[in-house]
Amino acid sequence: MMTIKDLPLEDYFTSGHTACPGCGPAILAKVIMKVFGKNTVIYTPANCLLVFGGTYPYLAWKVPYHHVAFENTAVCIAGIRRALKRMGRDDVHVIGIAGDGGTADIGIQALSGAAERNEDVIYIMYDNEAYMNTGIQRSSSTPYGAWTTTTPVGKVRAGKTEFKKDVPRIMIAHNVPYVATACISFPNDLLAKLEKAKRIRGFRYLQILAPCPTGWRFPPEKTIEVGRLAVETGMWTLYEYENGVMRINHKPKMIPVEEYLKLQGRFRHLSEEDVKRIQDYVKRKWESDLALCRAYGGCE
Amino acid sequence: MMRVVTGNYAAAYAAMRARAEVVAAYPITPQTFIVEHIAEFINNGEMDAEYMAVESEHSAMSAIISAEATGVRTFTATSSQGLALMHEMLFIPPALRLPIVMAVVNRTVAAPIGIWCEYNDAMPQRDTGWMMVFVENNQEVFDMIIQAYKIAENSDVLLPMMVCLDAFILSHTVEPVSLEEQEAVDEFLPKYKPHVYLLPEDPMAVGTFTPPEYIQEVRYQEDVAMRNARRVIARVDEEFGEKFGRKYHGLVEKYMVDDADVVLITLGTVTSTAREIVHKLRDKGKKVGLVKLRFMRPFPEQELREIAENVKAIGVYDRSVSFGSGGPAYIEVRNALYGFDIPVINFLAGIGGRDVMAPDINLMFEKLYMAADGAEKKNIIWIGTRGVEP
Amino acid sequence: MLAAQALASAAFHDGYYGVAFPFFGAERRGAPVLAFARIDREKIYQKTQIYEPDCVVVLDDKLVDLVNVAEGLKQDGIAIINSSKKPDEIELEREAKVAVVDATTIALEVLGTPITNSAMLGAFAKATGIISMDALEKGIMDIFGPRIGVERAKRNIEAAKKAYESTDIGVCKGGRMFEKGKKWLPNWDELPIGLATRALKTDVGLVGIGSFVENKTGTWRTFRPVINKEKCVNCLLCWFYCPDGAIKRVSDGVEVDYDYCKGCGICANECPVKAITMVR
Repeated sequence: MMTIKDLPLEDYFTSGHTACPGCGPAILAKVIMKVFGKNTVIYTPANCLLVFGGTYPYLAWKVPYHHVAFENTAVCIAGIRRALKRMGRDDVHVIGIAGDGGTADIGIQALSGAAERNEDVIYIMYDNEAYMNTGIQRSSSTPYGAWTTTTPVGKVRAGKTEFKKDVPRIMIAHNVPYVATACISFPNDLLAKLEKAKRIRGFRYLQILAPCPTGWRFPPEKTIEVGRLAVETGMWTLYEYENGVMRINHKPKMIPVEEYLKLQGRFRHLSEEDVKRIQDYVKRKWESDLALCRAYGGCE
Repeated sequence: MMRVVTGNYAAAYAAMRARAEVVAAYPITPQTFIVEHIAEFINNGEMDAEYMAVESEHSAMSAIISAEATGVRTFTATSSQGLALMHEMLFIPPALRLPIVMAVVNRTVAAPIGIWCEYNDAMPQRDTGWMMVFVENNQEVFDMIIQAYKIAENSDVLLPMMVCLDAFILSHTVEPVSLEEQEAVDEFLPKYKPHVYLLPEDPMAVGTFTPPEYIQEVRYQEDVAMRNARRVIARVDEEFGEKFGRKYHGLVEKYMVDDADVVLITLGTVTSTAREIVHKLRDKGKKVGLVKLRFMRPFPEQELREIAENVKAIGVYDRSVSFGSGGPAYIEVRNALYGFDIPVINFLAGIGGRDVMAPDINLMFEKLYMAADGAEKKNIIWIGTRGVEP
Repeated sequence: MLAAQALASAAFHDGYYGVAFPFFGAERRGAPVLAFARIDREKIYQKTQIYEPDCVVVLDDKLVDLVNVAEGLKQDGIAIINSSKKPDEIELEREAKVAVVDATTIALEVLGTPITNSAMLGAFAKATGIISMDALEKGIMDIFGPRIGVERAKRNIEAAKKAYESTDIGVCKGGRMFEKGKKWLPNWDELPIGLATRALKTDVGLVGIGSFVENKTGTWRTFRPVINKEKCVNCLLCWFYCPDGAIKRVSDGVEVDYDYCKGCGICANECPVKAITMVR
């Protein structure tokens, strides 16, 4: 199994990009390219990565790079794959890297279509839980209670009033060969999943939590720490679904969610009752993840 | 091989003969048979292509944009709401210079929902950067799809083209069509050599985030390409004529125009009906002419100005309306004829798929004669609208 | 941008017509950005960006070394610079009136973070005399208040006041050479068709595929990581986690590439043996 030490020195997503200091998705882009290497075509829809990874005439990608629009990542990479197939190029990895808004909201139709057709592509959602590129607006992947600029902390209402949409489960329901959740704060788990995605053929969906210091309102040095707490509090479960079998890859320590919430300015306004509601949600989420895992034969 | 086929079949057959390698489409009436026929060709082993049965027209256009950017020839077809749903994606291929070809079966756009012929689906796409040709019969459907690839892929052009055919009047009507053999088409249309591709051995960025320092130059490139297309369209038509014996005369076809007093400009199938009327009126000694406006983009400005030199009045037929301002073809013709001091009249008819009958066209010519004599003052005339005096 | 808006708002409170606008681009936090303000007694109609300012405010002193901040500055204009130096220790393209203030230290003391925009507004008020401190307080509250809350806006006012007190005005040295702004601006027919761009070497540097590598983001940094090689156990976590690829693997462990390090501090925070410290 690949570990950090096995990663190549060469970067195919170069330094000099213009992400904010401490950017989680920038870490992910770098790591994805270390795993997949030269023989890769990258597509990004409109998102932070589009902008910080390249502003004409400059580009951080050292592989073929393509962008068309916001809501069609899954079908654009499918189009690339079909064309490569016609050209006899089965050796090339085709990867789309979209944000949570571009996936869970505006991109879900194309995503569902491509998954149902089992297009031979890798779809990576970097989950930073809001529309960061346009200035921190809520998406369906934003967690309950979080401040965003469209769920502002006002006098009569504060923060998002709905819970996070569970896209990985929607993808499992498409019965694709591979679905995985991961987090940049768990390197070995992340590398194992990227490696696996590289080997499998057919539609592969990875949703990777990548905290955003600017949008979540925490100091930039805490990016990894915040991601770790998301997993250890049970806010985010690390699992994978491979050919019909689901496995949970990490048993969270179930640290009280407060430890996670208090690090982030976006949760600063939460009442005790809100925190309790989130704690209840975590409990239910973990139980249902376990139940799903049992149903798919991967957990005792 | 001469066969009696629908316009939809001719379109599908042309895509096969052009060796489109990736086809992505979504069914919509009345385009449906195009995608069905292509699926049949592929499943019968007659056509060697990837078929993507995508979940929307937006995705159909997205898929072929990315497939074309990867380096293969592509095809899609749509209608009406489907074209409207694609609208956002239509801007992409002209700017990335991807020579995509698409059949558009012109159908009214809701509301009210209908399935019959109107040009309010295609006309609003004029500013996206696509070349747009309107055809008159099923042979022209086949021929123009083959020609479209050759024009679009020309290195001086590199713009996409939509081949527009009238809903039902062509799409669902059978008539004899010469469906050319593969060898002949291959000789006319060589293998696609992409100028952009997405391959690791020669990495390119196709579609980066771009600041103002560059976008204006990109738009200028598109503008030059569209101007270049005028010349290339004429040349490819010549070559096609030499190879297959059928010519369409480039951007416009002039029919009995040379000595005409008045001319009517038409698009699409109405042209065919109008040809008959022109004959009948000529038999009666009326010097009328017909101009088949084939391309809305690039627009045949120069050709129309030459025609206007020698006539007393010009009528423009439109099958859709830019509300309050007349039809789009009329607006474009008036713009082309800036400085001419002759009446230019707009006739709006056939909207929503209503038939445009012989008396309607007769009336148009009558009005043109009246206008030439200064007896018709209206510029925009709705024909066959209940409660409206034409 | 907030500073420019607060300035326009302050100008309004002093009876001026004020307009502020960002450089029309996609900004990331920490990246060098431009914002503009126009202040006049009359209504302002001009809608363009500003190329010949009366006053340049430089929020980050490192920029003075990298960018010709006096470029376009009017002959009798003034440059207001965040720096711990004295005015006559500052070196620009030409001799010019300058005002200096150590806004980073003030911001760290008062706000606890090196965000210097409010302090620099205080320096502007002092150096130009156009805006009263009274109006500036209102301007900061107008703009910062709704964004970051009244309490934090008040601390920003405090930073502005402190800066006002300690702004030092003088004349800088001239004669510093700057490379003319490098930009690749080919004509329309020299640009790749549809902008499909490979890696191209141009006379102003690399463009296209992989070209961001020539963009040295180290200038964004306030704090820098220092690795204690004695303590380092070569676990490579810092190398893995660095968002900017600024930690390099070398034969005996890792080292920082300060050309790219933006100073986020993830490496120091994650180092399991605390071998990395952040220093200013």
